[in-house]
Amino acid sequence: MPGLLTGSGDSSALVPFSPEANTPAVYPLHHGLKPPIAPRLSISWSSGNSIRVSVFRSPETTKTTDGEAEVGGKVVELKVSGEDVVSEVNDAARWRRIVYGSVSPFAHLQNKKNAMAALSELRHSAPSEVEWSKYVLEYSKEINSLLGNRKSSPSPLIEDPKTVLKNDEEPSCLKAAWELLEIFYANKQSHSWIPEQLVDWLTDYDSLFTGQVPAVHSRLVEFQTKLINIQTVENEAAYWQAISSALSIGWLDISVKLLRLHGSYQLNQLGSRETENGLVEAVAVLISKMPRMRVDLPDGKLGECYYNKSDFMKAWEKWRAQITKLDCSAYWLQCSHNQTKENLKNLLQIMLGNTTTLTNATCHWLELYIAHFLYIRPFTSGLESMHVLAQKCMQLKPTSSPHKLMNLIVGILGENTEVVLAECSKSFGPWMIAHATELLTAGSIQAEILLKEQRDNLGGVSIEESHRLVYAQVLSSHALTWQIAPIYLISCMKHGVGLLEILLYKQPVYHSQILLKNIEICRLYDLDSASANAMKIAGVHDWKHGRKGSGIFWLQQAGDELRLNRIAQTLFDFVGKSISDESFEQWEGLIELMGSESRTAGGLEFLHKYRDFKKSLQQVEGGGVTDAARKTCESLILIMKNPSTPQRFWLPLMYDSLKLLTWREGPLLNVSQTNLLLNKLQELSVAKLRPDFIKVELPAHALNSVMLALATNLGRAILEE
Amino acid sequence: MEKSVATLDNGAICSSWNYCGQRLATGMIDGTIAIYDTSDPASSTFTSTFKFKVSEGSIVKAVWVPPEYGDAVACICSNGSLSIWEEIAEGTQCVFLGVQLYLLLYIHKPIMNLSPLSPLDSEPVQWKQRKTFAGSSNQVLDAQFGNSHPSLKLTVAYSNGLVKVYEILDQMDLKNWQLQAEFQNVTDSITKFGNTSCLSASISWNPQRSDTCSASFLLGLNSDTPQLNSPKVWEFDQDHQRWLPVAELADTDDKGDQVYSVAWAPNIGRPFELMAVASVKSISIWQMASDPDFDGRLSVQKVATFPSHNNQVWQMEWDMSGMTLATTGSDGNVRLWQSNLNGVWHEQAVIETAT
Amino acid sequence: MATETLKQFHRLPQSTYIDALRFLPPLSAFDRYVVVAAFNSDTDESAIGIHALNPTDAPTLTLQSSFTTSSRISSLKVAQKSLQSPLIAASTFAGSLHILFPNPIDASFESEVSIPEKMLHLGPISSLDLQESGSACVSVGEDGRVNLISVSDSGLDYRRVFDSKGLVSYTAARWASPTEFATGGLGNSLQWWDQRRPGGPVSQFKGNWGEGASCGVVHSIDIHPSRKHTCLAGGSYGSVFAWDLRRPQQPIILSGIGSGETQTLSSSDVWEVQFDTFMTTSIISSERVLPVMMCSEDGILAVIKQGEEATEILAENCAINSFDIDRHNPADVICSLEWESIAILTRT
Repeated sequence: MPGLLTGSGDSSALVPFSPEANTPAVYPLHHGLKPPIAPRLSISWSSGNSIRVSVFRSPETTKTTDGEAEVGGKVVELKVSGEDVVSEVNDAARWRRIVYGSVSPFAHLQNKKNAMAALSELRHSAPSEVEWSKYVLEYSKEINSLLGNRKSSPSPLIEDPKTVLKNDEEPSCLKAAWELLEIFYANKQSHSWIPEQLVDWLTDYDSLFTGQVPAVHSRLVEFQTKLINIQTVENEAAYWQAISSALSIGWLDISVKLLRLHGSYQLNQLGSRETENGLVEAVAVLISKMPRMRVDLPDGKLGECYYNKSDFMKAWEKWRAQITKLDCSAYWLQCSHNQTKENLKNLLQIMLGNTTTLTNATCHWLELYIAHFLYIRPFTSGLESMHVLAQKCMQLKPTSSPHKLMNLIVGILGENTEVVLAECSKSFGPWMIAHATELLTAGSIQAEILLKEQRDNLGGVSIEESHRLVYAQVLSSHALTWQIAPIYLISCMKHGVGLLEILLYKQPVYHSQILLKNIEICRLYDLDSASANAMKIAGVHDWKHGRKGSGIFWLQQAGDELRLNRIAQTLFDFVGKSISDESFEQWEGLIELMGSESRTAGGLEFLHKYRDFKKSLQQVEGGGVTDAARKTCESLILIMKNPSTPQRFWLPLMYDSLKLLTWREGPLLNVSQTNLLLNKLQELSVAKLRPDFIKVELPAHALNSVMLALATNLGRAILEE
Repeated sequence: MEKSVATLDNGAICSSWNYCGQRLATGMIDGTIAIYDTSDPASSTFTSTFKFKVSEGSIVKAVWVPPEYGDAVACICSNGSLSIWEEIAEGTQCVFLGVQLYLLLYIHKPIMNLSPLSPLDSEPVQWKQRKTFAGSSNQVLDAQFGNSHPSLKLTVAYSNGLVKVYEILDQMDLKNWQLQAEFQNVTDSITKFGNTSCLSASISWNPQRSDTCSASFLLGLNSDTPQLNSPKVWEFDQDHQRWLPVAELADTDDKGDQVYSVAWAPNIGRPFELMAVASVKSISIWQMASDPDFDGRLSVQKVATFPSHNNQVWQMEWDMSGMTLATTGSDGNVRLWQSNLNGVWHEQAVIETAT
Repeated sequence: MATETLKQFHRLPQSTYIDALRFLPPLSAFDRYVVVAAFNSDTDESAIGIHALNPTDAPTLTLQSSFTTSSRISSLKVAQKSLQSPLIAASTFAGSLHILFPNPIDASFESEVSIPEKMLHLGPISSLDLQESGSACVSVGEDGRVNLISVSDSGLDYRRVFDSKGLVSYTAARWASPTEFATGGLGNSLQWWDQRRPGGPVSQFKGNWGEGASCGVVHSIDIHPSRKHTCLAGGSYGSVFAWDLRRPQQPIILSGIGSGETQTLSSSDVWEVQFDTFMTTSIISSERVLPVMMCSEDGILAVIKQGEEATEILAENCAINSFDIDRHNPADVICSLEWESIAILTRT
């Protein structure tokens, strides 16, 4: 797969960063052979991007002492790209389900694209942007749904108050990445909602960061395991940390639920900790009343939605005023539990958007970024300001090994299509990039130019096309997905058909089910010559493997006159030898098999005529009347006149017809007809001198008998005329 | 992800896959060829189905005949001989007419003596020798088939530095070959080099199967005559019925370098041809213009060079799109080479044989 | 084209490629089972499995038992001897033939008898059919052989009925009666065989090979028990036609290219045809061909009635490789889709 990255310092380079591609990936090859291994390997590409490596044991060690037949070598198949996604999805069958499922949205979108282009050409107007983005969004949603169900956000379960996080289906990075692209590129109608969409996105996928970077999700998971053993939660720092972390990234439900685990809610304590409880509850209420700039919230989610910016503004100011009011309240003095007091105040600071508090509460920069959207700059819009904010957050919370999703976000925010492409390709594989380019190009004109411009470096194709070609190759390397590759290849204007023809050529068409599939694909895309070639290969295979009928059938379907003629030649050889036998019936069937005169080669046409002639000759010999004999004679003349009649049949034909030439009741041939035959004999005697003359096995006296008969006939004919 | 697809018998020293990667021919040290097959096209577990003895010496190389001409393998043996073996049903040529036509008769005349079904029915498909190119004291070093229009061609390189091109006479029969041309791998046709000793040769046909483009192949030698070594592109001039060198893939300084392997990439639509050359010094990648300039020469340009670091490259294979080159050599590793989107070639991956 | 309303339609993704499937005649009054021949491309394993079909609003298939075969299944048939448990016949691409006897209680495989590769045919068995009574099987191959396999308590016995030695290749076979069967082959040809008149086919229909595009391969044949003289065939280029032995040179073209006034439902290979036993209202005149269900490479599942507009039941994005109509409840149909899934549907 063409990597996107290149060495630094090359000013003409597309992507002027990261020289990473200079270190080749290393694949170990486990063959399990006993040493010594011969250094010489043998390699062969099979279809697509799988390579087969033959490893041999050194032949010197063939003489084994234990007498057992030892293994002399192994052939190992490796898929050298496209496996990234499989490991991401972690199950080959599930991966294929994604592959199958993405075919129809992709094809549908291509059809729409072509239809729109055709329409705009007709109307001499640019295709409608709005309409197109509608299709792209549809496409994006369909692909998105293939990647798994959207993980419902962490929500408290009623059954168990101590379960803070619900254990849902493991979300995948692939889906997370796709949703990011959808948010930024496909969903143009809701650009102003991007911050809230990102909040939701992080809610769904924060767990993915666990393992590589610390994350709020992992912090909560950790706390949850401890929770069962904790008597008085409000005394634990981890409790407060969990609440502030959850609150900072907008997990309001969890924060409120955790707050209500506070000891002051317990009935036996309610009396003594009334004020404290009041404060906890007040904070909880404030949290649950948080104004959100969005259309709606999923059922059971806390917060209040405002669609209208000014309404939101009002509510937001009011909410903040309430927080400030609570912050300055005198009740704090009456709160004797110090930890509760301080931590509640800390929560208020989070809600008021105190940067330091937010920075401490969150685990990685993306979380801090989300916190900014929630509590500091709810109106951040436009990629540029979002990018600036992201950079600020990265400075505040630097990560040594950024997660691939972080890299992707940075690329998107930086409006750097190359980086987005490189990240998609590096982290998510050919499937992702082949399908994501539609979103990227819908997202910006700059990206469209970058992706669709034809490049000499790539042999004249665009980046978009080159990625589709790569994906088609990934598909080609599996027996169950290769037939999907044509759908992608046909969308590649420049090199698609070239690769498709090679792909079709590389199929084992001597298996009839593969041959039929091949013919079907060729039929769909008008690849007549590829189809003919497949039929030719199958025909030759069948013919040579004892399936004569099938061989002839496929060669005929292929219209391979060359080989059919050759087969007819084989028949000639046979026929030529035993012309005077009664055995012609035996090959009659095969001639039948080779079909009617209309379509086949001259050679075959002759065979048919010859068969008919022989038939009528037999009738005559069976004691025929003169009329029948005359007709037979006419067909003899026709055959002899026909240029497709092979020369070597001339003499046998005439020899066969001796009875006609010497018909008792009178000459059947007139003078000119007899002369024609005599001329043919003349020609034959000349041809005999040529090196390519094919000698016919006939009795030695044949020529003389024919000449004599013709001479006699000529004499009788002259007399009659 | 790796998967073992076949286990080879003791004594296997070389292997070759057919055009679709569904049949494997392996050459043994004792001069036999073993064929491996699967029962259906989706399976990737190959088992041995046929074995036949080709030579007293060992097999050096096996090359499959293009599928339009049947299932056949050309075998180069350690004694320098070349023979073509074909899988064919008994009697296709002669017995067919005697026996099978007899039966055909009864398809139309439904009266026949039923032959009782015998489980001992012999396997009718057999591997048979079709042709040998032996005889002279000169050994065959490499042989490759060119599936060009209108008929199958075979280029054979000999240890005396000669190259012969044979052409099949009969599309349906691999027995009859005709010598079409004989020449040395030099750019000017006048010079002749005698007493050349050649250790290895590498031939790579233009993989394009188009009816319109003329037959051409790339040839590089590893010999003691420097003028013969550099890889040259030979093209068949249909009008004058002769082979002409149309391009040379070597810089002026490197023309005498011994060449171990050459590989012509499939072209799915590039405006230029792509070729790889492995010489004693380096692996290089070349672009060649598809159309000749007014001298009739095709302009070439070297687009990448990778020093060999004493790694003698023995085999190079392009993938089906011509985007990735795989090489293997004396270091026992497989290396994959690709061009990035900026047109810069680099080593993309290495497959290391774990012990 | 009319489309039929479905009461239920479910696509069940599998992790294997489905080569063939059949409803199993009921083992008991309550259970419903489906026999599935599957190929696992990850492990290279082929198996015949019995799945319990749970026909709820969200139907499920639960694997009850499985029998591993050495190669992929090329043809799968089921039959039931009267008052006995059903049996399953399967042929493989490697050329072996297997008869399986499922246990009526737990749907496990009670026993299996088989004929190994290379005994019956050279190369794959392209088609096999099991007699209604389950007592005999016919197998055909591209090698041009026609074999009869008798299934008895003592095992399998087989004999070659015909061997064209490769001059004619057979691609489909179907029993018409205990003594007669039909085969199909290249060039849309059909042959009628009668065991009482051995030596070769007693009647033949030859499609014209010369006609190029409209001429292909017969993939599937069906014969209705009530009209044994009519042989229904489906093949390349969307062709579905009926061959009436009483008028052997005039096939009734039901669908396909070059069919004149009749419609073309599909231009791709028709993989399977079956007479549709799901009768609606009108009684079909004996002059007419009975309703036919077909599935095709381009994803069509449809019912064709002679002289009427065809009813399209499904139009999938991928090929429908095979289907089966539940004999005991003909409203139910299962089909195997190319993209590793099974579709279950109920007609209204």
